[in-house]
Amino acid sequence: MARLSIEDVSVDFGGIHALRDVSFALESSAIVGLIGPNGAGKSTLLNCISGITRPTKGRVRLDDAVLSTLPPATVASRGVGRVFQHPELVVDLSVRENLQIACHRSLRYGLASEFLKLPHVRAAERAAGRRVDEVLDRLGLLDSGEVAIRNLPYGHRKLVDLGRALLMDISFLLLDEPIAGLNDAEVARLRDLLLRLREDLGLGILVVEHNMPFVSRLCDHLVVLDLGQLIANGAPADVLRDPRVMASYLGEDA
Amino acid sequence: MSATADIVRAGRNAGSFGVSRVLLGLCLAVACVAPFVLNGYGLYILTLTGVFALVALGLNLLTGYAGQISLCHAAFFGVGAYATAILTQKAGFPYLLSIFVGGLLTAAVGAVVAVPAMRLKSLYLAIATLGFGVVLQKIIFEWRSLTNGGGGLALNPPAIAGYQLDATGLYYLTLTLVMLGLWGASNISSGRTGRALMIIKESEIAAGALGIPAARYKVIAFALSAFYAAVAGGLFAYLVRYIHPENFSVGLSIAFLSMVVIGGLGTIGGSIVGAAFYVIVPELLRGIKDAPGLVFGLLLVIVMVLMPQGLWGLARRLGRRA
Repeated sequence: MARLSIEDVSVDFGGIHALRDVSFALESSAIVGLIGPNGAGKSTLLNCISGITRPTKGRVRLDDAVLSTLPPATVASRGVGRVFQHPELVVDLSVRENLQIACHRSLRYGLASEFLKLPHVRAAERAAGRRVDEVLDRLGLLDSGEVAIRNLPYGHRKLVDLGRALLMDISFLLLDEPIAGLNDAEVARLRDLLLRLREDLGLGILVVEHNMPFVSRLCDHLVVLDLGQLIANGAPADVLRDPRVMASYLGEDA
Repeated sequence: MSATADIVRAGRNAGSFGVSRVLLGLCLAVACVAPFVLNGYGLYILTLTGVFALVALGLNLLTGYAGQISLCHAAFFGVGAYATAILTQKAGFPYLLSIFVGGLLTAAVGAVVAVPAMRLKSLYLAIATLGFGVVLQKIIFEWRSLTNGGGGLALNPPAIAGYQLDATGLYYLTLTLVMLGLWGASNISSGRTGRALMIIKESEIAAGALGIPAARYKVIAFALSAFYAAVAGGLFAYLVRYIHPENFSVGLSIAFLSMVVIGGLGTIGGSIVGAAFYVIVPELLRGIKDAPGLVFGLLLVIVMVLMPQGLWGLARRLGRRA
């Protein structure tokens, strides 16, 4: 059972308090929704967790290890995966090749062996290929493995981005607006997929999302930010009834 | 189902693999018999093409794959040329060992050049590397005790295992190293390093999220690219047998970059085609009275306007259609 703790995290951008003393925790097999109006600090918090932004105060821990002093690549290799709002894929490469990029940490051969494509390099690449197949299967993209990303619909691109995170043996997954730009069928499919990932892999998932019906049906817990401060933290039904949340996020008439 | 199949067929790899295999086989066959057909000057031009192709292969890994512009490759080429010449002539190293050691030394220099690349992008990086190129050229010029400065270095023909390398021997050595370099670059481009470079070009933040440290891979790309340029320099020194700091100016760096762009950024085969275009086309235009430079310049413009993905991109499109 792993635990990702956000402890008194504050971030200042030249006098602007993007985050102020935010604390909460995410455990394995939990799905937590991070919500709040635009400018509440949700993306800044994701950036803090994934090592892109250094907190001005406070820290992020994975069990006993402090993550908030590490560079993004190290945070990722410790098992905290990040999926961005807009998938950044290499559009000239196929789905399979894009997924292979994420096998980087598990392929341990050196540059000279790679240059000469020695037998152990071929074996490692074959093993990585099998892991890519498993992820393609899980995503329902086995038929699209050889399709170039530029010919792939947007919804599928988002799945490929998620697939890359899955190839990194993560224990926690950070999702930034995962359903933006998806149609109803794709949204339903993504929800099922995330629930299965929690079930099969015990992933702890932190999801930033504006779509309330999606969030309240997916998450077992909601954290609400407003102007950089945590204003509510609890079960979706309770949080959405909280007067402060209704006032700040949903508007008085919601 | 058929729609999916169509998209798959239009995918990047479809067709190009077969076309590149056939092209490679043809080129290799022609290259092997060329010394029996060509005169001395023709052989020199073909060897020079191979030398420049090696530089272009390394530069394409750096610029085409990792997206890092370099305007100091002529200096890497020069450091490799001088290192090989000095190690062979003054230190008495065997020629092949000198080329290899010169390559390693230059790779270390390349790693140093990568330090500003961690902070700079696009044009800013281009200007910083241009500065490095000028500095390296100046060091070669001023380090007279080692390089003989502006006097240049005259070189004797090299020997491998007691066999003195004439023009034909040097040509076959160049051809062998080009084939090895081509194979290695192709392996790297499809391996863990090549994929890391491609995602760094796309987005350093995305690379970080995948556990790929952009800074380390930029250093690797610069070092590897400098190694290729240096090996080519080691061949060049003994092709021309007289090297001078002026040989390695910024103009040559721009020529190397042009080769990569003309051939096709991010394509291994394009590096060879680009180098061949750059060296051989002006030779073919020599017959045009007064204006070979003008025609070549216009050809460059036409190639870039009509084939933004370079000659290799065009070949790939045609191959796919066939």
